[in-house]
Amino acid sequence: MSRFGIARLDEPAANRRHRPDYILIVYVLILMALGAVTIFSVGPQHANLLNNAIGSHYSSNYFFIKQIVSLALSLVAFVLAAAVPYKYFLRYSGTLLVIGLAACLLLFGAQLAHLGIAECTLGACRWFNLGPLGSLQPAEILKFGLLVYLAAFLGAKLQKGDINEVKTTLLPVAWVTGLALLFIAVIQKDLGTAISLAVIVVIMLIMSGVSWKILGAVFGIGLVVGLLFIVSEPHRLQRVETYIQGDSASTNSGSNYQSQNAKIALGTGWWLGLGVGNSIQATGYLPEAINDSVFAIMGEMFGFIGVTLVIVLFVALLMRILRVMDHLADQRLKLLAAGVFGWFGAHVVLNVAAMIGLIPLTGITLPLLSFGGTSMLFITAAVGLVFQLSGYTNYATNQKEETHEDSGSRRGIGRTRYASRRSS
Amino acid sequence: MKLELIKGSRSRILAGCLMAVAVLFAVRLFYIQIIQHDYYQQLADSEQIKRLTIPAQRGMIYALSGSQPVPLVMNETVYTLFADPATVTDVQGIIKTVESVAGGNARPNLDKLLTTPNSRYQILATKLTTAQAEAIKKKGLEGIGFQQGSQRVYPEGGLAAQTLGFVDANGDGQYGIEGGLDAELKGKNGLLQSVTDIASVPLTIGSRNVKQPAVNGKNVVLSIDRNIQSYTEGALSRQLTKIGAPDGSVIVMNPQNGQVLAMANWPTYDPSTFNTVTNPSYFNNSVISSPYEPGSDIKTFTMATGIDTGAVTPDSTYNNTGVVNIDGIDIHNAPGDTQFGNITFQTAMNWSLNTGFVTVAERLGDGQNITLKARQTMYDYFYNRFKLGQLTGIQLAGELPGIIIPPSSPDGNAVRYSNMAFGQGLDVTMLQVASAFSSLVNGGKYYKPTVVAGSVDEYGDYHPAAPETPTTYIKPSTANQVRDMTHVARTTVFVGADRPGYYMGGKTGTSQAIVNGRYSNTDTVATYLGYGGTKNETKYVIMVRVSGPHFMGSGAAAAMPIFTDISNWLVRYLNIPPQ
Repeated sequence: MSRFGIARLDEPAANRRHRPDYILIVYVLILMALGAVTIFSVGPQHANLLNNAIGSHYSSNYFFIKQIVSLALSLVAFVLAAAVPYKYFLRYSGTLLVIGLAACLLLFGAQLAHLGIAECTLGACRWFNLGPLGSLQPAEILKFGLLVYLAAFLGAKLQKGDINEVKTTLLPVAWVTGLALLFIAVIQKDLGTAISLAVIVVIMLIMSGVSWKILGAVFGIGLVVGLLFIVSEPHRLQRVETYIQGDSASTNSGSNYQSQNAKIALGTGWWLGLGVGNSIQATGYLPEAINDSVFAIMGEMFGFIGVTLVIVLFVALLMRILRVMDHLADQRLKLLAAGVFGWFGAHVVLNVAAMIGLIPLTGITLPLLSFGGTSMLFITAAVGLVFQLSGYTNYATNQKEETHEDSGSRRGIGRTRYASRRSS
Repeated sequence: MKLELIKGSRSRILAGCLMAVAVLFAVRLFYIQIIQHDYYQQLADSEQIKRLTIPAQRGMIYALSGSQPVPLVMNETVYTLFADPATVTDVQGIIKTVESVAGGNARPNLDKLLTTPNSRYQILATKLTTAQAEAIKKKGLEGIGFQQGSQRVYPEGGLAAQTLGFVDANGDGQYGIEGGLDAELKGKNGLLQSVTDIASVPLTIGSRNVKQPAVNGKNVVLSIDRNIQSYTEGALSRQLTKIGAPDGSVIVMNPQNGQVLAMANWPTYDPSTFNTVTNPSYFNNSVISSPYEPGSDIKTFTMATGIDTGAVTPDSTYNNTGVVNIDGIDIHNAPGDTQFGNITFQTAMNWSLNTGFVTVAERLGDGQNITLKARQTMYDYFYNRFKLGQLTGIQLAGELPGIIIPPSSPDGNAVRYSNMAFGQGLDVTMLQVASAFSSLVNGGKYYKPTVVAGSVDEYGDYHPAAPETPTTYIKPSTANQVRDMTHVARTTVFVGADRPGYYMGGKTGTSQAIVNGRYSNTDTVATYLGYGGTKNETKYVIMVRVSGPHFMGSGAAAAMPIFTDISNWLVRYLNIPPQ
C-alpha cells in the first residue's frame, strides 16, 4: 500500500502554492445564501415577536440587514484568513491563544465588576456588549486561538516524533485545554461551546497520531468530566431529563418546549415544506427561531428534501476540508485543517442532532446559517484559513487519490486535481 | 511517523463517522418529517390554530308608537382599556390620562395595577365610550390596548322593564323578551378559525383558515305601544301611591288580534342598572309569571259556559238565599248582599253573587248537583276553550302555567268546582284571563296572546308579523251576551265613570291572597277585568291587579279606578269616535 509518500512528508516546503479549492467558497456561499433567505423570511416575524414581548422597536428587516452585515463581515474575515500567510498564524499562535484567554478573563473581570460591557443571562456572562457594534463572544476567539496554537504545538511535536509523550506533549495540551474549558464551561457555563472546543482538541489529537490507547483515556476522562458538569448544573440536568423523557413529556413544560416545537416545525414540513416565508413556528412557537433553531425552521419551510440538501451541503463542505487536510504535507497545516473540521463538524452535528431530538439541546449555532455575529465570523475565518491551505496541497500520488474514493470525491482515480478540473 | 497517518486511515475514520452521522440524520429526518408528519401536524394544529369568535350584534328591541317602531333597547360599543405592565414605559402618563378621560370608569389604584410584577394583562378601565377610547388612543401611550365590547342602552329608561328583561354579563338575555327570544336576538356568532402567531394574531399562511361571518340578531318590534305603556305605568303608580298598595300589575291588550299593548308592573327597576337590584322579584313580570286565585273575574267565564251550553241565559232566574250547600259545605255570598229572592243571573253578575254562579255550575249538571258531567263541561270550557291554567306561549321568559284541577283528579270534586265557578280553587295568570276575556268581548274568537308585532330588517324597514289566526271556541252570541252583561254590571255599579259615547264593561274581583298555602286574612288580591270601545267593536281589554303584603282592598275601590283612568285616556289616544 505504501508505494509512495514518506519522502514527501518530510519536505513540506516542496509544496509550492497553487490554485486553491474554490469549491469551498461555493459551498460556503450557498449555505450563507440559504441562511440569509431563511432569516429574510422569518426576520419580520421575529422582530414582531420581540416587539410585542419586550416592547422593542425592531423594524421588520432589522434581522435580515444585520445578518447581511454579519455575512459581509464574515466574508471579510474569510478573505483575511485566506490572504494572511498561514506562517503568520503559526508564528503568532501563542499570541492568539493568549488573546483568547485574555478576552475571556476580561469578560470575567467585567462580570465580577458588574460592568455593562458584560452581557449576561441567567447569571452566565458569555458576551461583550459593544453597544451599536453588537456583541462579541470571546469564547469564539479562544476556540480559534486554541486551534491555531495546538496545530503549531502538536505539529512541532509530531515532527520531532514526541507526539505520545505524556509529560512534554499531552500534559501541556491538557493544561491549556483545561484552562480554556474552565473559562467556557465553568465561568461562562456554556456547555455547547465547551463540547465543541473539546471536539476540536480531540479531532486534532486523533489526526496528530496520538495512540488509540491514549485517546481512549482522554475520551474516558472527558466523559467523566462531562457527566460531572451535567450533574453539577440543574438546568443541564433538566435538559438531559427532558431529552430522556422525549415526546412523552408535555409540550408545555418549559425545557421540553423548544425541543418539541423544533420537531413540530420539522414534522409539519413534510416532503417539500410550507415554502419560503410560510414558517408558522417562527412566529413565536419555536424559541431561538433565527439562531439555534434555524435548522428546524428550514425544515418547516423547505421540507425533508430541503434540509436533507442542507445536510448534504454541510457534509460536502466537511469532506472538502477533510480532503484538503489529507493532501497537506505539513503536519501543522494538516492539524489546522483537522481543527477546523472538528470545529465546523461539532457545530453542525451538535446543532442538528439537538434539533432532531437525538441529543439534548446544547445551545450551539448552526455554522453559516444561524443568525449571529461572532460565531459566524470566526468559523468563516477558520474555513478561510482552510481555503488558503487548499493552495498548498499535494496531489502527486495515485495512492492519495485512492483514499478519497470514500470521501465523496467525484474525481476519478489517478488524475490530479488540475487534470480533473480542466477536463470537467 | 506512523504509517496510518500517511495513508490517511484516521481521516477515513473521520470521514466514515461523518457519513454515518449524516445518514443517521437523514433517516431521523425522514422519520420525523415523513413518517411522523401526521402526528406532528396534529400537534402543530392544536398549538397554532386558534378559534376566534366574531361576535354577532344583538338585535335591537323596538316598541310601537302608533304604527311606527321606536327603539327601546339599542347597542352601544364600549371599550375595556387594558395594559401590559411589562411593556408600559410611562406609568404616570397613563395614570394621568386614564383618570382624566375615563373618570369613574377607571379602576382605583392604577399605580399598583401598572406596576404589577410578572403580569402581562391588567384592566385599567371598563365601559369606555368610543370618544373616551379615541381620546386615550390619541395620547400614543405605550403598553396599553383596547378590547371592544357591546352593551345595551335604553333610550326610554325603565319603560316596560319587565317586558324587556336585560342582558347579563355573559351576554345572555334574562327575563322578558331578552330571555324569551334570546336565541333570535343573539344571532349566530361567526367563527374565525385561523393559524395564528403565539400572541393569537391571525396569519394568512396555509389553507387551514376558516371564516364564517356572524349573523346578527333579529331586531324585534314589540306590540307594546310606548305611549300606552307609559300612560299605563303612570296610572298604576299614581293609584298605588294614592292608596298605599305595595304591588300591582296592568295589562292592556288589543282583543282583535291578541297583541299586548302594555304591561306594567310595580315596583319596577331600570334595566341599565339591573345589577344594582337587590330584590330579584322586581325582574318578574307578574302579568305572566305570578299565577293567583283570580276571584270573581272568573264569573264571566262561568256565565259564558252556562250560556254557550244552553244551561242558562242572562235573564234566567234562581232563588238567591245567600247560601248554597254543596256536598255539606255552605257557600256564602260576600257580605253586603241585598238581592234575595228570585233574581236573574244578570243581577247576580252585577252584584257578584257567588250563589248565582254555583247555580250555573249546578245547571251544567242535573240542576241540583255539580255532577261529573258539569265538572267536565266546566273543565272543557275553562281549560280547553279559555286556555286557563296553561302556558299561553307568549314570547317572554318566565311564563308560568298556573293550574286547573281536572275532574278526573280526586281533588276535582264538586266542592272545588263550586269554588271555581266564582274564581277560587284555581291558579291562573293575568295574561290568561285577559286573553280569554278578549275572546268574550270580540265575538268569540280566541287569539293566542303575543307581544311581538314584527321585525325591523337590516335596512331599518319595519315588517309587521303575519296576523294571528283566531280559533272560535264559543258561539258569537254567547260572547256578545257576556259582553253585554259585563257592560250592564259596570254601568249599574259605577255610574258615570266612563266617557259618554263609548261602550265599556267589566268585572271586579276581590279575593283573599293565599300566603303559605292558606287564605290570608290580611292580604287581598284586588282585580278589575274590563274592556272598552264602541258598541260595535271592542278596542281594548284592560286587566288590573292590586295586591301585596298587608294590603286590604277591593277590586272596585283599588283596581277599578286604574281601569277607568287608562280607559278614558285610551279612547282619546286611539281616536275612537264616540257613538
